Amino acid sequence: MIGGLFLYNHKGEVLISRIYRDDIGRNACDAFRVNVIHARQHVRSPVTNIARTSFFHTKRGNIWLCAVTKQNVNAVMVFEFLMKMIEVMQSYFGKINEENIKNNFVLIYELLDEVLDFGYPQKTDTGILKTFITQQGIKTQTKEETTQITSQVTGQIGWRREGIKYRRNELFLDVLESVNLLMSPQGQVLSAHVAGRVVMKSFLSGMPECKFGMNDKLVLDKGNKATDDLSKNSGKPSIAIDDCTFHQCVKLSKFESERSISFIPADGEFELMRYRTTKDISLPFRVIPLVRDIARSKMEVKVVVKSNFKPTLLAQKIEIRIPTPLNTSGVQVLCMKGKAKYKASENAIVWKMKRMAGMKESQISAEIELLPTAEKKKWSRPPISMNFEVPFAPSGLKVRYLKVFEPKLNYNDHDVIKWVRYIGKSGLYETRC
Amino acid sequence: MPTVSSRGDAMRGLAVFISDIRNCKSKEAESKRINKELANIRSKFKGDKTLDGYSKKKYVCKLLFIFLLGHDIDFGHMEAVNLLSSNKYTEKQIGYLFISVLVSSNSDLMKLIIQNIKNDISSPKPVHVNLALHCIANIGSAEMSEAFGQEVPKLLVSAHASESVKQSAALCLLRLIRTLPDAMTYAEWASRVIHLLNDQHMGVVTSAASLIHTLSQLSPGDYKGCVSLAVSRLSRIVTSTYTDLQDYTYYFVPAPWLSVKLLRLLQCYPVPEEPAVRGRLVECLETILNKCQEPPKSKKVQHSNSKNAVLFEAINLIIHIDSEPNLLVRACNQLGQFLQHRETNLRYLALESMCLLAGSEFSADAVKKHRETVINALKTERDVSVRQRAVDLLYAMCDKTNSEEIVAEMLAYLKKADYAIREEMVLKVAILSEKYASDYTWYVDTILQLIRVAGDYVSEEVWHRVIQIVINRDDAQGYAAKTVFENLQAPACHENMVKVGGYILGEFGNLIAGDERSSPLVQFNLLHSKFHLCTPSTRALLLSTYIKFINLFPEIKQTIQNVLQNDNQLRNADVELQQRALEYSQLSSITSQDVLATVLEEMPPFPERESSILAKLKKKKPASVQAIEKEEEKMKKSPPSIENHVNVPKEVPANTNSVDLLGLSTPPATPQQSTNSLLVDVFGSVDQPVAPKPESNISKSETAGSVDPEAAQNKSNLLFSRFLFKNSGVLFENNLIQVGVKCEFKEHTGRVGLFFGNKTGNQLQNFSASVSMGADLQGKVNIAPQKEAPTQIDGGAQVQHFVNLECITFFSGSPNLQLRYQHASTPQQVTLKLPVIINKFMEGTNMPAADFFNRWKQLGQPVQETQKIFQANHPIDTEAAKTKLTGFGMSVLINVDPNPDNLVGSGIVKTKTSQIGCLLRLEPNKEAKMYRLTVRSSVGEVAALLCTMLEEHF
Repeated sequence: MIGGLFLYNHKGEVLISRIYRDDIGRNACDAFRVNVIHARQHVRSPVTNIARTSFFHTKRGNIWLCAVTKQNVNAVMVFEFLMKMIEVMQSYFGKINEENIKNNFVLIYELLDEVLDFGYPQKTDTGILKTFITQQGIKTQTKEETTQITSQVTGQIGWRREGIKYRRNELFLDVLESVNLLMSPQGQVLSAHVAGRVVMKSFLSGMPECKFGMNDKLVLDKGNKATDDLSKNSGKPSIAIDDCTFHQCVKLSKFESERSISFIPADGEFELMRYRTTKDISLPFRVIPLVRDIARSKMEVKVVVKSNFKPTLLAQKIEIRIPTPLNTSGVQVLCMKGKAKYKASENAIVWKMKRMAGMKESQISAEIELLPTAEKKKWSRPPISMNFEVPFAPSGLKVRYLKVFEPKLNYNDHDVIKWVRYIGKSGLYETRC
Repeated sequence: MPTVSSRGDAMRGLAVFISDIRNCKSKEAESKRINKELANIRSKFKGDKTLDGYSKKKYVCKLLFIFLLGHDIDFGHMEAVNLLSSNKYTEKQIGYLFISVLVSSNSDLMKLIIQNIKNDISSPKPVHVNLALHCIANIGSAEMSEAFGQEVPKLLVSAHASESVKQSAALCLLRLIRTLPDAMTYAEWASRVIHLLNDQHMGVVTSAASLIHTLSQLSPGDYKGCVSLAVSRLSRIVTSTYTDLQDYTYYFVPAPWLSVKLLRLLQCYPVPEEPAVRGRLVECLETILNKCQEPPKSKKVQHSNSKNAVLFEAINLIIHIDSEPNLLVRACNQLGQFLQHRETNLRYLALESMCLLAGSEFSADAVKKHRETVINALKTERDVSVRQRAVDLLYAMCDKTNSEEIVAEMLAYLKKADYAIREEMVLKVAILSEKYASDYTWYVDTILQLIRVAGDYVSEEVWHRVIQIVINRDDAQGYAAKTVFENLQAPACHENMVKVGGYILGEFGNLIAGDERSSPLVQFNLLHSKFHLCTPSTRALLLSTYIKFINLFPEIKQTIQNVLQNDNQLRNADVELQQRALEYSQLSSITSQDVLATVLEEMPPFPERESSILAKLKKKKPASVQAIEKEEEKMKKSPPSIENHVNVPKEVPANTNSVDLLGLSTPPATPQQSTNSLLVDVFGSVDQPVAPKPESNISKSETAGSVDPEAAQNKSNLLFSRFLFKNSGVLFENNLIQVGVKCEFKEHTGRVGLFFGNKTGNQLQNFSASVSMGADLQGKVNIAPQKEAPTQIDGGAQVQHFVNLECITFFSGSPNLQLRYQHASTPQQVTLKLPVIINKFMEGTNMPAADFFNRWKQLGQPVQETQKIFQANHPIDTEAAKTKLTGFGMSVLINVDPNPDNLVGSGIVKTKTSQIGCLLRLEPNKEAKMYRLTVRSSVGEVAALLCTMLEEHF
């Protein structure tokens, strides 16, 4: 149970303070400021215990968000809530910064009243919140509207109101994935995993029932048992999902029994599911580093990047960051493609390419001049990191179908226009050198 | 001094950089900006470019700033060193600054830096010399002391160095001396340094005073001359008005720092002998005391602070002199005024100084006048540290007349005292009440009250001490038993109280048993009601008390035995409790009342020694005890108090069983030591004799089971010779068998216990052990085995064999022991000498010096004396020699020979037919490492034999 919630600016001044339970005093926000924000050492743990009070914090830009409790709460729940809160605030007033928070503090207090009750998280869904917390000032709602909102929010299907009508029934599915990798200099994968999300944007009339299918191994195997063991041989690859979570609209009982994902979607955009895979990841890029010490005051770095996907696809926003030693006094960079620059403020060479097709390779070489130092400290050689965006799902996830049934209204599955998009992004994509 | 901000030196880039950093919104932004700047500086410092002095200075400055922000800087040292050779002051200054902040003393650059400093030190410009001196002092490494240990003193005493240089040189030298006090020679420039005290410039004098203070601590002899100079300088300052020393007057006080330093310096030396100097010093001190009576010239706190600083230092000096009653009393009165001052610090200092004053015989009475105030301070003071000082002072001012009141006040205060000072207070109360007690009932009451009030803070030593004193004092015992009994009746009493109660009732419970209200059963039930609430160590003590009760009150024996035989005791998880319960219940049921009474006899009085409480207090607070030490010395002369009562020895028997009471706390050394040692004997047959391990080199020389007889013989000879001085140990050992010996001799009879241990896993068969005598012993010694020797020894087992001896007449040599046994079907034979030597039948005799010399003269015939002069085999150590002689059987006579190094002993060899007296004198010559040993005996042979036996062992 969250006892209170504080928002601080980068100086540690309190912007928002809301206390839900009596066991948290006003001095709790000072304790956090003194022990975490202004701490002598950088506090890396997201959970800090000060005087039997737990502080859960996260930072967005220059804003600190901190939830406080004296009880033994589920820490993951608290962080989930904090993330949701950030999402809600972003959807209400855009970027989270000091300026925006100061301008919207009435709204934020209103939201805080709604999302937490006596410290228990309530509705954090933006769509629902927006039905009764509006930015247009106080709009007198008619009695009907109020009863409708009440019945919806308290009813069985709280995430969708009745009587929605669209001329065009349309839905968009985005599969967003981020790839994380740590590779040894010899090209051995030390760790790799994909964190993915399926985001749906629906504009559908009535109360439609949807069914979502993908190439999950478990689901496929179950289906195949009934028919045949064809799929394994037929070349349709299936993926092994390590774990996943669903939006509240998904009927979990059905998933448990039939492994099918069926739901009545929320109106507008929502995150249908989140998942994680660790096996058979197709790594979009391979980084091959080559570091040589030429002389006492000189070293040479060569980095080759190979793209490893279909030649027809194009990767975008490619950025490679090559760390340089701390006593670098000058850098000469030579690259065929894109732009490369030594950024002294970050102690790294940053190489940027707008796009790159599949099955290509590209190279950069740099000569680094070093300044002799008083103490011979060995450079720790931090890994080379990379950022990119590719138009496929590196986990191999495929959407097989998404069927829509609306028995009451006269449109069926074929009338719905469906769009599917795959985006693979880099998470922490690093190669040791 | 040249200003930094002159045109062209402004370093705009630095200002911009600093303001950039200050404007950074977040930590990340700041570190980005710093990284950028560092990269910029690195590119500038790259080898291929030459930089002008200005930019070098600027970048070095930036690096310094970044370093001060907490980032590591590992370059730029070379550039900083380059700056040193610049001619501009500001550039040099920054270079020196960087070096003193950032260069570690073991850097490679140190040689270069030292060279640069050397150049600057010999520069004609005083500012450059100053910079160099500051740098030396700031680095202050051993290397620096070596490099400049000779140069800096030259600057200090040179005729044409400017004042500022002298000032810096003095402080620099001070720093170097502190780093490496041995590397310097002080004597050669001592007189010139001393004369710096006469310098015109006050700054030079101030810094010189600090230097001389340190130097005079290192070599007091060379700097003796500074006393008169310091006194005259002090008097000039003290008598001057505040307008005289323009720059060195601080809030109307003339040169307070210098005055304090001079006063400190004077405390390093004894009071000046010459009457003129002494008179002048006294005059100065009087003036300082007078000045305090004047109305303040300013209301500012700085004025009073500096004035008081001088005053307190002056009082310290007065205490140091300790021979001017007038001054001491005045100082005391002055401090008395401060006791009620508003300033907490002043009150603290006043109490602290008064503690010292209380130790002086002249001012002790003056201090005592303030008793009321101090007690009041204890009650009302808000600051805990001041209260602590008040306690110290009360402790210091306590004497016979006021002890009861002070102890009562301290006890009252103890109830609400801070936890931090409670333990110390308890110790102090305990010491005071013991030292000044005129009557034991008061003492016992006080300590018991102490335990009641602050039981947790009463350390072991305190209650041990009560018991010691009660046991040593017959007249206090009854009262103690009664009071303890009353105190124990409280529903909740502290464990320490139970301990004291348990011990005292166990010893003296009979004294109050006559009263119906404290009949034996009541006493026992009272103690036993506390039993279950106590820790094991206390329970152990209570069990001992119970067995004592059985002895004291046979009528409740049954009740107590029931308790002892209860499973709670007999099967207690604590081994100590279990053992005690078992042994005590056996002791009480098996033995007769007589044995019980002997075992549980009343504890003998404790030998007197330094109070363990005082020792503990000393360990805690070495400083504060000094005052009381002085008191102590005085006390020794003054009329008797408890300690002196106790000091009168009540014929303490030399009973080794009189246990160190401090051992009480650890269960094994119980008050029942006497019981225990008896128990050991009772179970003696069960007890395995613990033979000490032989030296390893000996066992190494052993080979297989078949022993080289010669080697074995040598070894057993060596082992044998050790038995000259002791009665038990290992006689022989090879890798098959170990032979241990334990002998007991009484007059002309003895019993030798032989312990044969089989070290192998197999049985030794056909074992036989026989004692035989050579022809020379026939008829002189009778030997009778108690039983037949065993015929076999199982693997790993030990068997024993006892032999009785009787010495008929004087003999030399010793009987043989023949061992035969079969191992791995090979027969083995070993012949050993039994450690039965003539000296075993010798008993030491004590006699006064006159008797000794009388007898010595009686045995004056040449036949009766044997004298040998020989080289010492061991380092000459009187104590060790004493132990050896005692082990040999002689008793060492003390205070007979006027030379304490010489040892004199006497003993009587007792045989069945005759008694032969022996006298011995051992004179070491430490230079030549020689001894002269003279033995006289009524039988000449005995003297010769003893002399040869002892010769090789010194």
